[in-house]
Amino acid sequence: MGFDYNSLLAFIIFGVTIGVVYGIVALGISLIYSGLDIVHFAHGEMYMFGAFFGLVLAVDVGLPYPIALIGAMIMTAILGMFVERVFYRKLTSAGGGYTVAGMGMIICGFGMSVALVNVAYFIWGAEAEPFAVNLDYLPRLKFSGDIEVPESYFLTAIISLVMMGGLHYFLRHTRAGLAVRAVAHNKDIAYLMGINVPLMISVIFGLSCALAAGAGVLIGPMQSVQVEMGYLMLMKAFAAAVVGGFGSLPGAILGGIMVGVFENLGAAYISPSHKDIYAFLLLILVLMFKPSGLLGVEAKVKA
Amino acid sequence: MLQINDVHAGYGNLKILRGVNMQVPTGGIVTLLGGNGTGKSTLLKAISGLIPLMEGQITFDGADLAKMKPHERMRLGLVQVTQAKEAYPAMTVEENLILGAYTRRDREATLADLQRVYEFFPVLHERRKQMSGTLSGGEVQMLVIGRGLMAKPKMLMLDEPSAALAPKVVLEIFANINRIAKTGVTMLVVEQNVRMALILAQYGYIIRDGVIMMEGEAKKLISDPAVKESFLGGSVANTSKALKN
Repeated sequence: MGFDYNSLLAFIIFGVTIGVVYGIVALGISLIYSGLDIVHFAHGEMYMFGAFFGLVLAVDVGLPYPIALIGAMIMTAILGMFVERVFYRKLTSAGGGYTVAGMGMIICGFGMSVALVNVAYFIWGAEAEPFAVNLDYLPRLKFSGDIEVPESYFLTAIISLVMMGGLHYFLRHTRAGLAVRAVAHNKDIAYLMGINVPLMISVIFGLSCALAAGAGVLIGPMQSVQVEMGYLMLMKAFAAAVVGGFGSLPGAILGGIMVGVFENLGAAYISPSHKDIYAFLLLILVLMFKPSGLLGVEAKVKA
Repeated sequence: MLQINDVHAGYGNLKILRGVNMQVPTGGIVTLLGGNGTGKSTLLKAISGLIPLMEGQITFDGADLAKMKPHERMRLGLVQVTQAKEAYPAMTVEENLILGAYTRRDREATLADLQRVYEFFPVLHERRKQMSGTLSGGEVQMLVIGRGLMAKPKMLMLDEPSAALAPKVVLEIFANINRIAKTGVTMLVVEQNVRMALILAQYGYIIRDGVIMMEGEAKKLISDPAVKESFLGGSVANTSKALKN
């Protein structure tokens, strides 16, 4: 029996689709890292909250899926800005600047992660909830050799690309984006340019959380939504961010796609029951040969 | 225009400035001179609001700056030109300049000022699409000055514009500072290059150990024996004498 190229192609397509979602979450983690110099360990919970907000808006309230997506992103952005302003700001601004607050901020992030999971348990309970949306109006992509790509995957790929394009446009071609990049590079100089640095830090945090929420609403229809979903996504997104080069935005997307493809191929050709190992195998391999990540040179320049 | 009364400031418990008094009148160029670690940069940070005051008062155009955040002070027209190494290397020359006008809402006037800066520094126009990290030292200095001008300043504070530049380039930069002052922008130039700064400015302050050690007309300071001895190559003259003996 010859090698089945069609199924290989299918695994790669699914891998890329999941990968761009990892990439979106990794993008947020990288953005926060380059903007605030902190590693945000509660980012998986922003993804989880985003998925639940989307579920509530789309299924319980009955809004159309795209509106629910945008609504969930806005709600999570507000939640993220609130958490940053109330719980993180004191730590990150200790010492006058928003420099590395070291262990304190890492522990605080883990604490926030546990706290948010428990808040979610309190609201939505422990059961996994199906996220059923009607996407029949979308075309079902058919490739040669009977490969069909379900609507939700097609939608995910398109929306992810739109989000990435939107972020790129925002950072490169708008005044606020220029200010965000200035703050990410050096806060003191940004102050001297007349930029309201604390406000921009809120913007960075809100934007990153909105991206995570977008990923949550995109993953929702493919899998089910449940309270513990954030942990694994955080780990995968971290792997993606590090593989691509921490702090580099193109690196985050590249890393996400690589992690997605790698784990799909591993699950298909090695062993499906160890699906979650392959991302970290890739991480270790990349770190062995290029410790700064694939686009790590750009990472020094930031954002 | 700028009044500094008995200012004490520093970092954490470390006090660097111990009672600085200074005035910068409207129009013209004032220079603040001193070696490394004498408190020059700390005073600039205190004026622009990057560090809080421990004691004393700073007023600009009659407004008390104590409660104002850095970006609010800048909106009054009090603009600090950063050291040349502090351009944003990952942004293009033009992006850096536009960032300088971040607080302005008058789009057309801003674009006109951008053209003015390009006329002032033609080399920036040539390199406007280049990353500012690829510019030479003198070009980056022009960029940060141009970026300061984009904010439409009433007063421009320059942090060591001659640092790490070749003498010929320093001359060019200082000539440009003079040209800018003639357009009506008040200047405070912080310098280590005492001779050049005193030729450029009308009035000078010399800071040492966090206090103003000496002040006066630039013309008088440059011929002052004490200034000559400690800054203007007195030690070099002594060294060459010693070598001859």
